[in-house]
Amino acid sequence: MYAHTFLDNMTWMKGESNMLKQKFARPVSIIGTSSLPQRSFDDPEYKDLSIYELWAAACNQAMQDAGIKPKDVDKLVYSQMANFVTMGNVMSPVGSLEEWAGLAGKPVTHIEQACAGGYLAFNEAVNSVASGKYDIVMCAGLETPKHFNARNQPAYMLQPIQKYDGWWSPGRALFDTAYNRFDGVSDNLLTEEQGKYYIKHYGIDEKTLDDTYNAMAINLRYNASHNPHALERTPYSEIAKKAGYDDVMAYMRSDNNPKITQYIRKSGSVLHNVEAGAIIVCSADIAKKYQDHPITVIDHASVSNTQRYPFCFHQMNVDVRDALYGGQDNFNPDDLDLMITTVMTSGEQLDSAEVFGYLPEGKGYKYELEGRTRFDADRPINPHGGDLSFGHGFGCAGINMLSEAIMQMRGTAGGSQVPKPVNDVLVRGMGGGHTTVGILLENQD
Amino acid sequence: MYKLRPILKPYYDNLEKGKIMGMKCQDCGDVVWPPLPTCQKCGSTNLDWIDLGTEAVIDEIRFEDSSVGGDYTFRKADEFFVSKEPYCVCVGHFPAGTHQFHAALYGVTEENKDELTSQLPFKADAEFIQLDGGFKSVGFRVRK
Repeated sequence: MYAHTFLDNMTWMKGESNMLKQKFARPVSIIGTSSLPQRSFDDPEYKDLSIYELWAAACNQAMQDAGIKPKDVDKLVYSQMANFVTMGNVMSPVGSLEEWAGLAGKPVTHIEQACAGGYLAFNEAVNSVASGKYDIVMCAGLETPKHFNARNQPAYMLQPIQKYDGWWSPGRALFDTAYNRFDGVSDNLLTEEQGKYYIKHYGIDEKTLDDTYNAMAINLRYNASHNPHALERTPYSEIAKKAGYDDVMAYMRSDNNPKITQYIRKSGSVLHNVEAGAIIVCSADIAKKYQDHPITVIDHASVSNTQRYPFCFHQMNVDVRDALYGGQDNFNPDDLDLMITTVMTSGEQLDSAEVFGYLPEGKGYKYELEGRTRFDADRPINPHGGDLSFGHGFGCAGINMLSEAIMQMRGTAGGSQVPKPVNDVLVRGMGGGHTTVGILLENQD
Repeated sequence: MYKLRPILKPYYDNLEKGKIMGMKCQDCGDVVWPPLPTCQKCGSTNLDWIDLGTEAVIDEIRFEDSSVGGDYTFRKADEFFVSKEPYCVCVGHFPAGTHQFHAALYGVTEENKDELTSQLPFKADAEFIQLDGGFKSVGFRVRK
């Protein structure tokens, strides 16, 4: 059932650098994006702000980056998962969000698909252009996972999410109330199953898995320490030293970094922060009017399933890989310059990197242990620091992950810029519920 | 024409009576548990109830202590269970079923897990788990 059907059967075109085949009836390019610092409302940098100011900044910065005005945008696709909980119990604030971005009166679609929403908003924007219906579409996301505003107060009056009535748990909210919320199992699968899969199939022991996950956290924090936009930027080596450890791995294995599940330690669990971001796509035939080097959207694929059957998260990666790579005639994942992938917990990065062929199957753990996934090493993953250090904001996360890919491909990612041409990028994302998405981008101009 | 009928209420009502019901596709024979009105294999909506009995075959033990707490994102999976007796996660299947499932498995401890693992696959009895919302869910318990 979990056979690697596509990869096993494919004849790789090793050594060739053919352009990928864009799969849309009408080609689509990326011409603009924005990236705000990943912070929380507790940070002095975001003092006196609300989600609305961040939204306006993200949308306007993306439009300025693309060299367009609000009047040029034909449609908005907006992604947010928890607006009802965190934005004063509002159902879908599409009209006001349009006003804050200068887009009042434009068509808008709200995507709510948990943490996959940002990726799917991008796909919807691409499809809207590819269909021929619209020429320029903006997709944008926002989320404030750690704070909420009450229904009887304006949006700048924020409270810690812990004070939300009934203590909202996003982990529990991912499981339906038909069966899965009550099985006593689902949360464990969300965090543990990819580790189980790895131990079962590749014969490494639990200690090696623990070291791999710790090395991954160290690598991602190393990346984030070079990225001023990341939420947590202090390298673990520095943190360890302050705690009296000369050996950073000894610190990572200690009670300073406790296990929160059987395999996952605190350093291997997603960091939440307030996020807003935007991306602008347009028909490829007009892209050069706005950008000298627009990025070509090659293809996207997504699947959804539940945790009904064992290894559901691994299976989604397999299914998306087959759908995405199956659309290409001459594609070798070795030719990818960069992979950006959701890492809600440590197992996800390792599993997805191997399933998508970015790291060799059953050997990817060595790449983490040897630091080869750092932004300045030979197989960079998540150069911005990933969800474990860069941060994560539910329905906006996909927008930010794609923005990182765009900046890396432009060579404008700052201190964590991958030090080689970044022309072919796989962005892979996952959200609860559950959905996995894959997006291929290429510099073709 | 698809026939509108209750699925969830009969399922949970039967759990109160000590019965675990799945649905069997009358066209391809695939059995789905917990029940769904559409065949996951062939897409048919011609499914009927099937009594799956009260024992399952446990294929795999995934030992982990259910009392280990997660952070605020990953809350404990047994949050709604009335009993907080620790359990582990298992992979199993019903003798009349056609798919493996995940479930809570009671009776596995640090002391006996290696012995039990060496006995896999083995049969276990259904454990009707009481939830604080006033209904039951299905887990299993190792036979003594």
